[in-house]
Amino acid sequence: MGQSLIWYLKEFARIEWIKKFLFAKTAPLVTPSYFRGFPEPTGKICQNALFCMMVCPAPGAIEVVHDEDGWIPRIHKGHCIRCGFCVEACPNGILKSGRILETKEREGTSLLFSFRIAIDLELCTGCGNCCTACPVNKVIDAQMGAGGHSSNDEVIMRVQEGDIVVIHEDKCTGCKTCEVSCPTGAIRIARILEGYQQPVQEESQ
Amino acid sequence: MTILQRIKNKVRARSIHVAYVDVGSCNGCDIEVLACLAPRYDIEQYGIFVHNNPREADVLLVIGAYTPGWEEKLAMVWEKIPDPKAAVAIGNCPISGCLFNRRESFVDPPVKKHIPIAAEVPGCPPRPTEILQAILSVRDSVFANWEEEHP
Repeated sequence: MGQSLIWYLKEFARIEWIKKFLFAKTAPLVTPSYFRGFPEPTGKICQNALFCMMVCPAPGAIEVVHDEDGWIPRIHKGHCIRCGFCVEACPNGILKSGRILETKEREGTSLLFSFRIAIDLELCTGCGNCCTACPVNKVIDAQMGAGGHSSNDEVIMRVQEGDIVVIHEDKCTGCKTCEVSCPTGAIRIARILEGYQQPVQEESQ
Repeated sequence: MTILQRIKNKVRARSIHVAYVDVGSCNGCDIEVLACLAPRYDIEQYGIFVHNNPREADVLLVIGAYTPGWEEKLAMVWEKIPDPKAAVAIGNCPISGCLFNRRESFVDPPVKKHIPIAAEVPGCPPRPTEILQAILSVRDSVFANWEEEHP
């Protein structure tokens, strides 16, 4: 009887069991490298194209700021949702996250931006604030006056006979300075984002 | 601190209760908290018991962007938790409001304004591993010198 009790005690006090009871944990606390984390810099030089900020769906998640060394995208944790769009949209591959960059290279995909300028002629007073505020207009026609009149055909938009006319929509960079400067809220900029995949070249037979 | 007090602190830190409260989120983070309970992540192997009762809780998980309906109630829930206690903000919503924090929305983030938050887990939604790590890091500090302060 005494012998069997000892046997039982020994059986239940196995060292491996005690070790398991105290220390055994499943090991889920490791995140695989291919999971999309918060975007990290790859070390390439940022060209300040701002595609990351344009494509970001979360408000205030990414900012391109000017550091001592140059432009650098800064991710704000607590705002970022780890969708990886900024990694995909960047034309220079500044950011990396999971295996997005490899997939993008393999599949030959990219994101294309264009902007549409919508003007509500009911609200527009033809003051020309948008034309003079536009930074692209400023570069093209530095002589543009306060009324937004211009004799230059290369500007994005100008005032003609009291009405605003959009000439070169394709030059818009989507900065929305015109939206801010409009006193009546008549001008709106819409961002159009298109996914694009390069056609795969078929091998010649 | 005597050895007995140290042992008490250590044992208590290995056995904590968690309550969670959703103050207006999309339920994504709730599902991730739920995933912590599942066998894949298994929060109970660390001695953490999710028992949704603030009276028994040590750690409160706050999820969501703080809608007006929670204005006094969240503080009430926080006051019901006996000392020592800590609150962990799960997800982007309690930190910044994330997608809900837009013009003309009624949410009032961050939750930090309303109750003291000990740890924040960013992500939309955060991974169960990150939630687990946050709770594990908080539980050590909750009972760190509790015996000493309250003999």
